Amino acid sequence: MREKKQTIRDEDYEFVSLCKKGDVDAFEVLVKKHQKRMFNIAYRMMGNYEEASEIVQDAFVSAYRGIKNFRGRAKFSTWLYTIVINLAKNRLKQLKARLHHEKYSIDNPIPTHESQIHGEPASSDLSALERLEKRETQQKVQGCIDSLDGEFKEVLVLKDIQGFSYDEISDLLKVPEGTVKSRLFRAREAVKDCLKKVIGDL
Amino acid sequence: MECNDIQEKLSAYIEGIISSEEKLLIDEHLKACQQCNESLADLKKALEYVQKLEEMEPPPWLTQKVMARVRSEAELKRGIFQRLFYPLHIKLPIEAIAAIFIAITTVYIYKTIQPEMKLAKAPLEKIRPRALLEEKERTPPIDKGKPLPGKPAEQLMLAKEKEIPVVEHVEAPKAPAKVAKRDEVVPSAGVVKKGELKREALPYELRARALIEGKREGISLTINVKEIETASREIEKAFVQLGGKIIKKEYFENKNIIAAELDFKKVTELFEKLRPIGEVKDKALAFEAREGNVEIEIEIVKISIHP
Repeated sequence: MREKKQTIRDEDYEFVSLCKKGDVDAFEVLVKKHQKRMFNIAYRMMGNYEEASEIVQDAFVSAYRGIKNFRGRAKFSTWLYTIVINLAKNRLKQLKARLHHEKYSIDNPIPTHESQIHGEPASSDLSALERLEKRETQQKVQGCIDSLDGEFKEVLVLKDIQGFSYDEISDLLKVPEGTVKSRLFRAREAVKDCLKKVIGDL
Repeated sequence: MECNDIQEKLSAYIEGIISSEEKLLIDEHLKACQQCNESLADLKKALEYVQKLEEMEPPPWLTQKVMARVRSEAELKRGIFQRLFYPLHIKLPIEAIAAIFIAITTVYIYKTIQPEMKLAKAPLEKIRPRALLEEKERTPPIDKGKPLPGKPAEQLMLAKEKEIPVVEHVEAPKAPAKVAKRDEVVPSAGVVKKGELKREALPYELRARALIEGKREGISLTINVKEIETASREIEKAFVQLGGKIIKKEYFENKNIIAAELDFKKVTELFEKLRPIGEVKDKALAFEAREGNVEIEIEIVKISIHP
């Protein structure tokens, strides 16, 4: 299985090699290609649009700095996502320390006004009221995700939102698959309990 | 199986990543347990909520911002050496600092040396006449047979000094109206007549200075003429004929000064041409056999006919 992973074809291989030679334009191609997924991981981790933007920028910059040390044992994209996840977790720790004295808990999720402003335009077949309701629900769901601890949050984001496989997540987070699963199931339970409180009848 | 055990496995049950035995057990339990059925439904619903979360669009400026930072990183990677010498990125690059440093040093050195140079020049003027005096005492006045190497000017000077008292024309009454340096020798010639003592002291100084000037400027001549204007014109003509270049023309009340650059080889010819114009007196002849052009300065003075 390990061998199989090492021989994995990385679609970014060419551009990564160019980057290693100092080609900045090649890096731009990679940024454009991965920024959306990077941003969505960061956004679901942070629950805040501005924070997510900052973290994605930092992640790409540190990826550029470290690209020479990227050995290609994993796919480049996996490597990128690891960076953004780690940065997001560190940032969350910082914020948590700052908000320590304030009363944020599962019952009082961190408000996420940003999603209201920057939310995707809803599909046209929804009425204004429906759109508003949908947005509200999404905010509540995000609020519940926000209430999770980092190690539970990251598996939920990667598995249930981003749709990575257990194998990929195990690679990404460098934890055994079993651990990924048990964390995920606990995360889902916590989100379920949270949503029941926030939304009421599911 | 207890409800707690079942509920722990519901997530895996939903995903179908569970052994068939466990699945059978859970299926059996769900048929009978309302609570676990509700849990399953809630979990499915919660999962649905999470999975339905919409994808967000990153800010449109994201790539641009990232690349701006990356590019500045790339610049930093060029290395400290190159950065220091890269004028666009550092407001005051090392070249500018170096240039200023050199300028300051130059000025400083120049200012430090200048007074020394003045000091060095002053004794030279005093030492020279003394050296001349000594030499004069030692060597016979006219000894062109074996000129001292490297000091032909002094040798000439010596010869001239001996001659000066012998010079016939007397300009005794001619007071040095003009205090120009060129004039200084003329009264000295007059002074000479008055006393040996003065001749020993003052004229040497003056002559030495004239010598230095002569050395610097080439040849200095004084020509005594009857009519300054005509003589000036004739001298100019002589220069032009010999292919010289006139560099300076100065007109004073009772004298004119013409300076010109002339091929050294033509100097003798010039002297021949000058002789019919007036009485030539070489004031300071820095005759060093050299190649190329020499600067010749001719002072045209109206002859003073003594009674």
